[in-house]
Amino acid sequence: MTGIVFNIQRFSLHDGTGIRTVVFLKGCPLRCPWCANPESQRREPETAWSAAKCIGCGDCLRTGAGAVKREGGRVVPLRRLSGAEAERLCPAQALQVFGEERSAADIIDIVERDMIFYENSEGGLTLSGGEPLTQPAFTAALLREAQGRHIHTAMETGGLADYQDLRAAARHLDQLIYDIKIFDSRRHQEQTGAGNQAILENFRRLMDEFPRLPTLARTPVIPGVNDHEKEISDIIDFIRPYPNVSYELLPYHRLGAPKYEALGRAYPLGKRALDAGRFRRLQIFAERRMAR
Amino acid sequence: MPIQPSRDSSAYSPQESRLQTQSGRMVFPGGPRGRIRKIYESFQDSKAAVDVQRAKYFTESFKSTEGQPLILRWAKALRHIAEKIDVYVDDHQLLAGRAGREGKYGLIYPELDGCFLENFAKNSDSRTESPFALTGADRRILLEEIAPYWTGKTYYEDLAASLPEDVLRVTFDPADTFTSRYIVNETSSMRSALQWVHDYQTGLEKGFETIKQEAAARLSSLDLHDPLDALEKAPFLEAIIITADAINLWARRHSLLAAEKAAGESDPVRRAELLQIAAVCARVPRLPARDFHEALQAQWFMQLFSRLEQKTGATISNGRMDQYLYPYFQADIAAGRQTEESVKELFQCMWLGMAQYVDLYVSPAGVRFNEGYAHWEAVTVGGVDAEGRDAVNELTYLLLADKREFPLNYPDLAARVHAGSPRRYLHELALTVQEGAGFPKLINDEEIIPVLLAKGAEFAEANDYAVSGCTEARMPNRDTYTAPCPYINLGAAVELTLHNGRMEKYGDELLTIETGEPENFATFEEFFAAYIRQQTFLIAQAFKQQYIVTRLREKHFASPFGSSLHRLCQKNFQDLHAAKIEGGIDIGYFDMIGFGSAADSLSAVKKFVYEEKLLTIAELKRALKADFRDAEPLRLRLSGAPAYGNNDPRADEIARQIDLAALKFSGEYAKKMGFSMDLRYVPVTSHIPLGRVVGALPNGRRAGVFLSDGSSASHGADTTGPTAVLLSNRATKNPAFSNRASRLLNIKLSPSAVAGEEGTKKLTALIKSWRDLKLWHLQFNIINRETLEKAKADPRSYKNLLVRVAGYSAYFVELSPDLQEDIILRTEHKTV
Repeated sequence: MTGIVFNIQRFSLHDGTGIRTVVFLKGCPLRCPWCANPESQRREPETAWSAAKCIGCGDCLRTGAGAVKREGGRVVPLRRLSGAEAERLCPAQALQVFGEERSAADIIDIVERDMIFYENSEGGLTLSGGEPLTQPAFTAALLREAQGRHIHTAMETGGLADYQDLRAAARHLDQLIYDIKIFDSRRHQEQTGAGNQAILENFRRLMDEFPRLPTLARTPVIPGVNDHEKEISDIIDFIRPYPNVSYELLPYHRLGAPKYEALGRAYPLGKRALDAGRFRRLQIFAERRMAR
Repeated sequence: MPIQPSRDSSAYSPQESRLQTQSGRMVFPGGPRGRIRKIYESFQDSKAAVDVQRAKYFTESFKSTEGQPLILRWAKALRHIAEKIDVYVDDHQLLAGRAGREGKYGLIYPELDGCFLENFAKNSDSRTESPFALTGADRRILLEEIAPYWTGKTYYEDLAASLPEDVLRVTFDPADTFTSRYIVNETSSMRSALQWVHDYQTGLEKGFETIKQEAAARLSSLDLHDPLDALEKAPFLEAIIITADAINLWARRHSLLAAEKAAGESDPVRRAELLQIAAVCARVPRLPARDFHEALQAQWFMQLFSRLEQKTGATISNGRMDQYLYPYFQADIAAGRQTEESVKELFQCMWLGMAQYVDLYVSPAGVRFNEGYAHWEAVTVGGVDAEGRDAVNELTYLLLADKREFPLNYPDLAARVHAGSPRRYLHELALTVQEGAGFPKLINDEEIIPVLLAKGAEFAEANDYAVSGCTEARMPNRDTYTAPCPYINLGAAVELTLHNGRMEKYGDELLTIETGEPENFATFEEFFAAYIRQQTFLIAQAFKQQYIVTRLREKHFASPFGSSLHRLCQKNFQDLHAAKIEGGIDIGYFDMIGFGSAADSLSAVKKFVYEEKLLTIAELKRALKADFRDAEPLRLRLSGAPAYGNNDPRADEIARQIDLAALKFSGEYAKKMGFSMDLRYVPVTSHIPLGRVVGALPNGRRAGVFLSDGSSASHGADTTGPTAVLLSNRATKNPAFSNRASRLLNIKLSPSAVAGEEGTKKLTALIKSWRDLKLWHLQFNIINRETLEKAKADPRSYKNLLVRVAGYSAYFVELSPDLQEDIILRTEHKTV
């Protein structure tokens, strides 16, 4: 069983309990303009070029005949490159390929290396994306393989998927992290390119079917999109009835901006910034409302 | 504590770096009279100055005792020093005594390397590394009274003259033996003993009057017709008696001075303090300590007297303070004689005393190995007790709390960790680490105790080890090997392989052996075999060097004070520096420096020359010779080879083979010399001078740049995070061998990555995992703002710096400039 993975990040501290290894699966049905991982959105591997890393040696143009060209001060790939090819072409690692086909067993071999750290921190594997459920069979295979080796499993999902796929994953999960971004479906459609009926419906069904699964619902707080009490209270009121659900707000950041540039895309949200005071107020608001 | 490698010419400890970001603002915990701040202010602005008194009186005495047994000469010199040297009871202080003049001071040990004194007297205040002020009068004493006597008599000169030609060639410049070659570097002339720990407990519980009387009783029962009794045992016992008299006399002089000061003191509170100091110094260390104040004063006298006796590597360590001081602490707290605050104040009086002592190295090599006035009198806390039970107590927690509150980088704090360490202890270790000053360093009982057992120690001895110096373990009454150890330059081994036994810096001279022109090697296996032969040849020179060192030292050094606190020395009537002490465990070391640099260089050769055939050895050598001039793409490519520190078996296996070859050699040959030679990776700051003589390396490191430190990865090469660093370290060890020793390991984290309560938990988990991996040593560096700014300016050197931002951790240099600025500002906000 293989799938497309664009990163494996060890020593991740904020994606579930303890010290974790996050496996990022490529492909996402949503197009959130605030997305910090633009390289995660498309399913197929992509080649990026970082101006900041390029030392201008020209090796790629000289040795990679037909692979890349210079265009308007940028280096642009002419065809899809493999990771090894990009590494050969560029000594400075300015050319980078996001996405590689890997087998589930190989991935879990890497994840398993940090077992001793999971053991001491209640950490483990977290699947993330993109949306892991755009590769449902691979996701299920990864989780099954991890559970077979007694590794704690978590998955971050945006919930827009076939319910049966979600259900198949949930069977092998020790922890679920579920993004609910905007409560109103029409505004969700406007902002992310898809409505949220299926997302909310999947959440409801999942909580009914797996009431004991520890679940963290998360909302990224985006300035001008959902950074107000009404939005947060709607989401909280929706999730609060379920017994094992906790809730967390994530502050918007622009850390993904250089990656948009490397992929030759414009950063959709421009210079927008989240007001720290407003975020803190929302956090307090959310805590109180959850505790009600 | 070892100094961090830095790209500055000066090396600062993490603690000092933190202080710099506070623009020199020093926040002291509040005492009743602002005592601690006042003491600190009394010396903070002083420039490190030479105090020649110890050297002067030592030399005076030696002039009058020629021909006598060395231990007796040493004891008499100590008595002469104790009689003559200025004694001090500092203003505001609660502990009496210092080993030299007011302000920051360093001492001279002419018996070691006095042959450099003439040169030192000329440039002590102008040298770039660790300069020292020297008054005109003192300069005259150095040049006229001290240096001339030692010419031709120093240990250094004897050593240089004793090395056979092949060993000399990689040690000193044969044409000028005052110049080190930094290939196989000896350190036995930089200090007269390895880092060491005394059995302070015996000193506290017995007192030196009893130690003296015991020796006197044994002396009177000797059979003086027996030549051995008369010529070996009698001088030993006489030396013990004279030394006990000396420290008692010296303490007594402090008591008299305190009483005299009290008589002239108008402030009644200070007068009472001075009278108490006078009373304490009248009692200890002559008689057993009865309470905490007496115990601490007695210990302070012992460690100061040890400094007067000899120069110990890293300066004499403090041992398990939370153990041997605990009975006094517990009794005083129970009786209401002390509070936790007053105990901390007494401790801080001691730390401030340590801070004023500065380790002075006279020889150029010595100062380069120990830049930044480094000394670290390790205080050990935690671990198991002799019975194997957890040893943590309230004093342990007090010392940890003190470390978090007290802003100076003294003392160096070493925390032992074992499988049964209590949760609270681990939590408090993490809290202390979070302070970001690099304290405490962590030392692993689960690795060290089995190694000590394998050396033949009893469980009770192994369980009760104390941390000594950087990372070493010392069993105070069982360890008997004091010879400082050689350092082997693995960067040089790579260069010697490339140049068939020669190095760029030393021209056409064949330094080692010819292992073949690498241009002719058809496979990496041939190249690697040649490297191992070069490395092995260097280790062989180091062993021969150490064999000579071990036999020479007893002719030059004696330690009657150290011997009086060592059960085996006492039992056998032998000085601590004797080449062989009956019943002792002799653990010598050799340090390999540039482990990561060598492994990564070999990995790059393997990948680019032999696997991908990107370039030939000849082309590689041309690029290295040109120090990568006009070849930046090649340099970057080489630095992208699989690197040690990423849990990547391709690099780790090479590193493990490097380790294995060294262990095998040592396993075969050390025993024949009568002591073990264990493989250690502890650089202090030697990776800087050793790097200076090495040309550009195949891992992309430029000529003259420092080598990787300890068992850490090459700078910036570990890009997979700290779990991979720890796993690589484990993967490159060979635990089937008991002649393995300390591996120093630094891990850098950003303050924000481990901030807050969550951060404490994650740090605790990292510490527990390190323990379970059975690695020897670990220290964390929580990177400060200054470093972030440097990282912003020079991203390639800081590729692996993790920062915590918003919802996740990111690599700092991957962020755009304005976001980097954002994080820099946030970090600054945090430190205010």
